[in-house]
Parts: sequence; C-alpha cells; structure tokens
Amino acid sequence: MNELKEFYAQMLLLRLFDQQCMDLKKKDLIYSGYHPYEGQEAVAVGFCAALQPDDVLLSTHRPHCHAVAKGCSLEAVLTEMMGRRTGCSGGLGGAMQFIAVENHFYCGSVVGSNLGLATGFGLAMKQRQSGQVCMCVFGDGASNHGTFHEAMNLAAIWKLPVVFVCENNQFAEAMPVKEFVACERISMRARGYGLEEITVDGNDVEESRRAANTAIELCRKGQGPVLIEAVTYRIRGHYVGDPEATYRNPAEVVEARKYEPLVRTKKKLLDGGCDPAELEAMQLAISDKLATLEQWAIQQEFPTLECAVDHVGIALANAPQVRGPLATSI
Amino acid sequence: MPTVTFGEAIRQAYEEEMTRDKDVFLIGEDVGRWGSLYRSSRGLLEKFGTDQLKDTPISEAALAGCGVGAAAMGMRPIVEIMYIDFISIAMDQIVNHAAKWHQLSNGRVKLPIVFKTQGGAGRRNSSQHSQSLENWFVNIPGLITVMPSTPYDVKGLLKSAIRDDNPVMFIEHKSLYFDKGEVPAEEYLIPLGLADVKRSGEDLTIIATSWMVTFALKAAALLQQEGISCEVIDPRTLWPLDQQTLITSVQKTGLCMVVTEAPAEGGWSGEASAVVHEHCFGALKKPVRRHCGMRTGIPYGPSLEFDCIPSVNSIAAAARDLLGKPAAH
Repeated sequence: MNELKEFYAQMLLLRLFDQQCMDLKKKDLIYSGYHPYEGQEAVAVGFCAALQPDDVLLSTHRPHCHAVAKGCSLEAVLTEMMGRRTGCSGGLGGAMQFIAVENHFYCGSVVGSNLGLATGFGLAMKQRQSGQVCMCVFGDGASNHGTFHEAMNLAAIWKLPVVFVCENNQFAEAMPVKEFVACERISMRARGYGLEEITVDGNDVEESRRAANTAIELCRKGQGPVLIEAVTYRIRGHYVGDPEATYRNPAEVVEARKYEPLVRTKKKLLDGGCDPAELEAMQLAISDKLATLEQWAIQQEFPTLECAVDHVGIALANAPQVRGPLATSI
Repeated sequence: MPTVTFGEAIRQAYEEEMTRDKDVFLIGEDVGRWGSLYRSSRGLLEKFGTDQLKDTPISEAALAGCGVGAAAMGMRPIVEIMYIDFISIAMDQIVNHAAKWHQLSNGRVKLPIVFKTQGGAGRRNSSQHSQSLENWFVNIPGLITVMPSTPYDVKGLLKSAIRDDNPVMFIEHKSLYFDKGEVPAEEYLIPLGLADVKRSGEDLTIIATSWMVTFALKAAALLQQEGISCEVIDPRTLWPLDQQTLITSVQKTGLCMVVTEAPAEGGWSGEASAVVHEHCFGALKKPVRRHCGMRTGIPYGPSLEFDCIPSVNSIAAAARDLLGKPAAH
C-alpha cells in the first residue's frame, strides 16, 4: 500500500507538472512544440521505479515526465523547457531535446533515433561488465522507423542489456496505431528478431513496475534484450492545440479518462482504506511546490550568445599556436 | 624509412591505437573476418578479438547510433561505413546526435568517435558507390572532417582522430589504398586542422584534396617542365580549416586554383575560394579558379568515369589558362 501511495504521489506530480507546462506553453513561456504526457504517467513512474540511478534512460520528444521520473530535478527540466540557463542543457535544448548526464538521461526530437543509440550504451555496459542497463523508451510511431528494425536486430544478436519500451499511446501524431501497424501487438515484433517479448497494461503502475523489473533482471543476467509494449492512451493531442477532431472522436477520450492511471490508482488506494483527505492534502502540497517552482523559474536568466557557441566542439590541441591567429573553430 | 601502402598505414594506426587503449574498437561491415573491404584491418581480429573488432549486420543507422552511444559511455569507437554513399543511412545519428550532444550536455558529454569511410571514383563503381560527399559534413557545426592523401598522412591523422574527443569524419579515397609512401617506423601524430605544403612553388597555388592531391602533384611536375612553378597545398582537414597556410601561399603566388573531385556547386571548394578571396584580395591577380568534378552522377565504364573528374592533364590545362600561358602541344 505504501509503495502504491508513493507511486500515486509521483504520478500526481507528473500530472500536475504536465498541466503546468501546458499552461506555460499557452502563455508562450515554453516556446517549441510541447507534447503533453497526460494519461501516460504510469509508464514513466512504473518503469523508472525499476531502474537504478546509474542505469541509462533514453527518451523521446515527449521527455519531461520521463526525465523527472528518472531523477532529474524539476528545476532543471522546467527551466530547460523555458529556455533558461539553469536548464539541463543550459536552455539550448528546449522541450524536446536535452541531456542530464548526472542522471544518465538523454532525449531527442527525432523519432526512432534513440533505438540505435541504445545499442551503443548497451554495448559499452556489456563490454565493461558494468551491470548497468539501458532503457530506451519510444512511441508506437517509432516502431515503424528503420532504426527500430536495425537496432532490435543488433541488440539481439549481441545480447545487449537494453530494455526497449514501446510506450504505445495509440497515436503517431494524428495517425491511429491501428492504421499503421497491421500486427495485433507491436511487442510481437520481438519474435522476428529473437528477443524477449512482454506486453503490459501501461496504465497500471504496479504492473508496469513488475514488467520493467522482469526485463531489467533478464538484462542484468545477460539474457536481454527485451521488448516491452506498454499499452496506454494519449489523452491530449500530439501537441498543445493540435486539430484533434481530424483523427479521433471526443467520446473516445471521455471513455479513456475512466481508465487513466491516476483514476485507477486513486480508486485502488481508496478501496484499500486510504484516507481521501490524505490524497487531497498530497495534491495541495504538490500544487504549492509547483507554484513556487514556477515563480523561481520565471526569474531565471536566458543563455547568452556566448553560451550558444561555448560547446559546439572541443578546441583542437594548441589551436592558435599551431594554426596561427586565423585558426577556425569546430 | 619503410615504404608501405595507404591501407597498411591505416592498419598500423589501428594496431597502435588498439594496443595503447582497449576502449578503441572498430565496428562495421566485414571489418573483422575480411579485415575491411580494402584490407586495412586485416589480421587484427586474430590479435585483438571481437571486443575490438566488431563485424556488424548491414545496418548503417544502428551501427552509427551504436558508436555514438558507446562514445557517450567513454569508449572510443571507429565506425566504418564501407562506402560513403551508404552514410546517407547513418546521417541522422551523425548529424542530429553525434554533432549535437556535446553542446546539449553543456560540454559534459564527450564523443570520441571516428566515422571512417571512403569515397570517390576510379574503381568503376558508378554513381551509388563513387560519390564525393565530404561537403555535407563541412557544413555541420560540431564535426571535424579529415581527408588524407598519403600513407604518412593517413596514419598520423587517423591516430589523432582516434585520440580526439570530438566526432571526426575520416574520409579516405578508394583509389588511394594501394598507393605507397614512406611511413616512419617510430610513432608520430599529425595534428588535426593543419594543412601541408606538398610542393613549394612561386607562380600558382593549387589547393587540392584527397586523390586530387596526387593529380595536382603530377600536374605540377608536368608544368615545371614548362617553366611553371606550382605550390600544391593539401588542407588534410577540410574543417576546421587551416586558413593561414592557404593565405600565406596565395599572398606569395597571387594566383589560386582549388581542385576537388566533388562538384564545385555548394561545396568546400567554394569555402576555400572564399577564404582566399576574403584574405588575399589585394594579392590576387585573377579570381580564384575552381577545377572540380562535373555536376553529374559518376558514370560507369572505363573512360567516362575519368572524364567527369579532374585529371592531371585537365589540372595542367586549367593552370596554364589561369597563368595566360599557351596550351601544351
């Protein structure tokens, strides 16, 4: 019960954080396309709960909740999305792409790329016998990317400690998954590559945690990689303000809200005897914390032009001495 | 000094660096059993094993991504893309990730990775196996682009590329692997970003890259017999560009020609030309001449292929024209 309550608290934090970000996007304080996470919180919380701090998480263009669940600070994630210097990537990455090395967290805005990258993290872990695993989260849309195929195969032939997590939220931008995937389940594709296959209810945080544990243990024993399909539902649009009516019936969303992870977990907690007042107080405390966070974030500085060129590359050894005053930079 | 082939010089660089640092590994199609298409890693699988020589499926995107991920973990991968034409499959990993992660991590992620490939014409492989695509990478901030032309240079530059903490595009030429040259027995490095004056001269500066350096040197020898003295410069690293060596030469000669196998339009030859114009305008007697590959897919077959790229004779003819000398008889 205590673990479930902790999961609930984390999911509630992600829900309220996501809503806060949507609000900031509408206020034009988040500048790029913003991809809401509402309804998928059990995947972030359940899967990240199974990771050790030094395990690597590779995320997507919808990364903010994965990042927080992996241990990145709310301050660093929020101010990154707001383009401030205190952000994970110094405000140069934004809402879709940033890196938090100390949290072993990487994400990027090109769909499908991270599967290829995951094989490299996995290879280094295996070769160094570090005991780490690399978890690579991607969407149902990425499962049709060429890199999905190449990376699944490479990871499988080399038995790399990589947990591939297909977070199936039913839509690739505006296209419903049933229209672009002919097989019954995306996880079935694992069979074609010879790797372990797991399908899990991605709206059930405890099930997600268990599935992740199973996969991670296989990987740590050298029996990876594993492909997990976590079935969930994208309650909001692909981005804030997308023309939702072009691809789904609003009634579908109303129905999905009945089964979203917070509703389900809350019911389970209350059924188990949890005091509703406690959950109310939890929500108020999180809201207060996020309000304070936002006040702080708005005051943070933006990067300067110097910051924009600080780390394009590492200066070549003795550059001006060897190459003269006109030495060019990388 | 021992004389070895270009391919053997590469093999020596691999051997020395893999011995020095167990984190150095070569990953690519047929780099192990075959020892690479042009045998530049032959015998190394037996010596270093599969940890350092990784044969991969034909999956350029995955293996480029694999290199980036492994480099982020502190390893030093050399990702071999068998033909530069196939690098189109791997571009996402190189351009969107390898070239961006150092910046996106506030300088904390280092990517000591070499993308090693070969391009160019001369072996009758037609338009999907003969391209000169180096220009793509010069225009990407965060990448170093190297094009060696001699056995000595390829060894010294490859060792430096492997030791550098930036992603390096290391582009060889398929027609150079069997060229021979002197390579010292003792260890040496050649700094990245440093041009080399391959031949000193007074009348004209020829800036040439890769295979074209060997053509330019032969043209210069030909022209010498006609009393024309050419200085031939090999930038070796296309970017970061050693501007000073180019400028010093053109300020002396007052005439400049840029020779590349890649088509001129939108290419590095224009960059080199612009650098010379910007810094040597007062010294230039005529505008910089670009003498480059034709704007076409490299055609198949014995003669057309060579007709579409600069040759010794065409370089010499262009030089005479630039100098206002009569054509050779």
